[in-house]
Amino acid sequence: MGLKLDNVSKEYAGVQAVDHVTYSMKRGVYGLLGVNGAGKTTLMRMLCTIIRPTHGEITWNGRDIFEAGADYRQILGYLPQNFGYYPDLSIYDYLMYIASIKGIRPAAAEKRADRLLGQVGLSRYKKRKMKTLSGGMVRRAGIAQAMLNNPKILVLDEPTAGLDPNERIRFRNLISELAEDRLVLLSTHIVSDVEFIANEIVLMKDGRFFFTGTAEELVSSMGEAVWNCTVPKKEVNHYLKQYPVANVKTIPGGAELRILCKEKPTEHAVHDDATLEDAFFLYFGEKAGDKIDTEV
Amino acid sequence: MILKYELKKIFSKKINKIVLITAMLLAVVFSGFAITSVRCSDREGVVHTGVTAARKLAADKNKWKGKLTEEKLAEVVKSRQEYNKKYGEAIPDEEYGKTIQSYNDICAFLISVLTPDSEYDGNVLYQLTEKQTEDIYVVYQDHIRKMVEEYGETKEQQKFLKKQYAKIQIPPVYKSADSWGTMVLYAETYGIILAVICGFLAAGIFAEEFHNHADAVFFAAKYRRTKAAKSKVIAGLLVTTIVYWVGMGLLSLISFGVMGVSGFGTPYQLEQPYSIYPMTYGQYYLLAVVCGYIASLLAASVTMLTAAKMRTASVAVCIPFFLFCVMPFIGRMFASYFVFFRLTPDLLLNVMGCVKDLKLFQVGGIVFRQVPVLMLLYAVISVLLLPFVYKSYCGYGLKKK
Ligand SMILES: Nc1ncnc2c1ncn2[C@@H]1O[C@H](COP(=O)(O)OP(=O)(O)O)[C@@H](O)[C@H]1O
Ligand SMILES: [Mg+2]
Repeated sequence: MGLKLDNVSKEYAGVQAVDHVTYSMKRGVYGLLGVNGAGKTTLMRMLCTIIRPTHGEITWNGRDIFEAGADYRQILGYLPQNFGYYPDLSIYDYLMYIASIKGIRPAAAEKRADRLLGQVGLSRYKKRKMKTLSGGMVRRAGIAQAMLNNPKILVLDEPTAGLDPNERIRFRNLISELAEDRLVLLSTHIVSDVEFIANEIVLMKDGRFFFTGTAEELVSSMGEAVWNCTVPKKEVNHYLKQYPVANVKTIPGGAELRILCKEKPTEHAVHDDATLEDAFFLYFGEKAGDKIDTEV
Repeated sequence: MILKYELKKIFSKKINKIVLITAMLLAVVFSGFAITSVRCSDREGVVHTGVTAARKLAADKNKWKGKLTEEKLAEVVKSRQEYNKKYGEAIPDEEYGKTIQSYNDICAFLISVLTPDSEYDGNVLYQLTEKQTEDIYVVYQDHIRKMVEEYGETKEQQKFLKKQYAKIQIPPVYKSADSWGTMVLYAETYGIILAVICGFLAAGIFAEEFHNHADAVFFAAKYRRTKAAKSKVIAGLLVTTIVYWVGMGLLSLISFGVMGVSGFGTPYQLEQPYSIYPMTYGQYYLLAVVCGYIASLLAASVTMLTAAKMRTASVAVCIPFFLFCVMPFIGRMFASYFVFFRLTPDLLLNVMGCVKDLKLFQVGGIVFRQVPVLMLLYAVISVLLLPFVYKSYCGYGLKKK
């Protein structure tokens, strides 16, 4: 039972955006991690019946979601990556409109909207036009919108992208608060987003799921040890070429490196516990974490 | 419920607000144009325009109101011929204001009766003998018979023409109808603007989600394939109806409020004695306004379909421009060669021209006039397009490819 993907693919003019994915989800928070272009959005759009897979089948409790149609969408909440809204509508009217197309009766919708606005901290702004809101507020309105029908399946596509660090933390807390008793699928390219709230982590690359499991399983799957060492400036390049280096911190006269490898790379190297970020780095060959956003 | 918020979305959109306010302002501006287009001479021959001109003119002309008996016509013809003898074409302004203005419509009617199917020529009036004036309605009937033969290309058409002409009131009952005649022109021009605006608003309804990237939320909602898409279609029709009738109502209210409604029951045949549309000026105005409404509906349906298919309004909003502003020029070039160009949608906003057209259409044994064909054709097309709008919108993304 639950949400099952059976050999699901989506092809765009020769590009396999999602490539034969088989997976099943039940209750809990699933963190879908992958760099840009991995196919996360495409997968989520299929789960929300916005686009059809070119191949394979998606079922909810054994029933094809496209056949189930409205019955399936009734238990679905979706916050898209490029969450768009109606700039001249007030938040409250916006929620009431979405409630109406979700088939919620007006009286119930009003109650629900008021409660959610409280929960996401927007009660004071309910009469404000959407276009006057900050990015974080818009995202919170987006969450409220997705939660209107008290969905059994909540799909959040990069809900924390572009938020400042404080807002991101608040957002994470909000999501774990709302995650109770539901299936939440959350995509991100930021490790710390899922580190604490996801029960299950899925790594996606080039349209495929190449790791699924808990955070602990992910870390232990690395098969490499983590070493911290300080090296002189002229040797930095040598190490960068030789080993996967998760982090470089420049210090006077040299650099502190975080090296991933089985053997001790230098005599002075100190063994450290592997983190999720290290794993992400090893698998994606990119620096993970909040740094990505702050660096760019 | 969905409909309520769909409408709220439309009317809260900033660009839409600007467009709507512009439409209402234009109603006022057009009323102004209409009102000031009426010129009235006073007894000193000074020409007046302005808010009172139309009512003064009507009052002046209505000295002659009532049935246009042969005696009345003789009186007019005699007076006009005397002025012609005395002054020729160079009639002094004060004589015009004092007398001629009041019976000018009647003179025009006589000339039109006497010159069917040929150039309007003022001289025929000056050469009219007393006897001819007395027999004017006999001549009218004769000409009608000739028109039936000339324009009735088949037996059915002749029968049809006879039936229409039989409805013409002879002798006609006169009352000044300047405000109605003037207003048909302004209502039709304003109708073009309203049709373009309705098309713009309707296109927005179907492009908005895509434009704002709000489509994903919309299409992931329960009713996206049923009530939500249906509400959009209904909202399009409602907005068109509201905007058109409020705009047209405002124009009519201001204009007729100022100019007065004299001549509502005056037969249109006073202006066009051989028109195959027996109607009063009031009906004439109504016909033009209803045709304008159909044009707006058509604009809305077509733009909704285009916007739903293309997922953007940018092409869709140009279509009404083409249909109602460019088409007339193309149509005029080809109208005499191809039947199609006598049935283009822009003609819905040129009822003024159509009611002068004597050509008929025939399908099997049934004969039609141009205006009813246009009305039926485009009303049906507007309605038939709606299911396609609905389908192309809610089928979004579901193709298995
Ligand atoms: N509508 C589309 N048309 C063509 N290619 C697309 C389309 N949507 C996504 N893709 C391609 O599919 C791949 C996956 O994209 P996406 O699902 O957006 O990844 P992610 O959300 O992980 O960044 C990318 O290579 C992207 O270029
Ligand atoms: Mg994405």
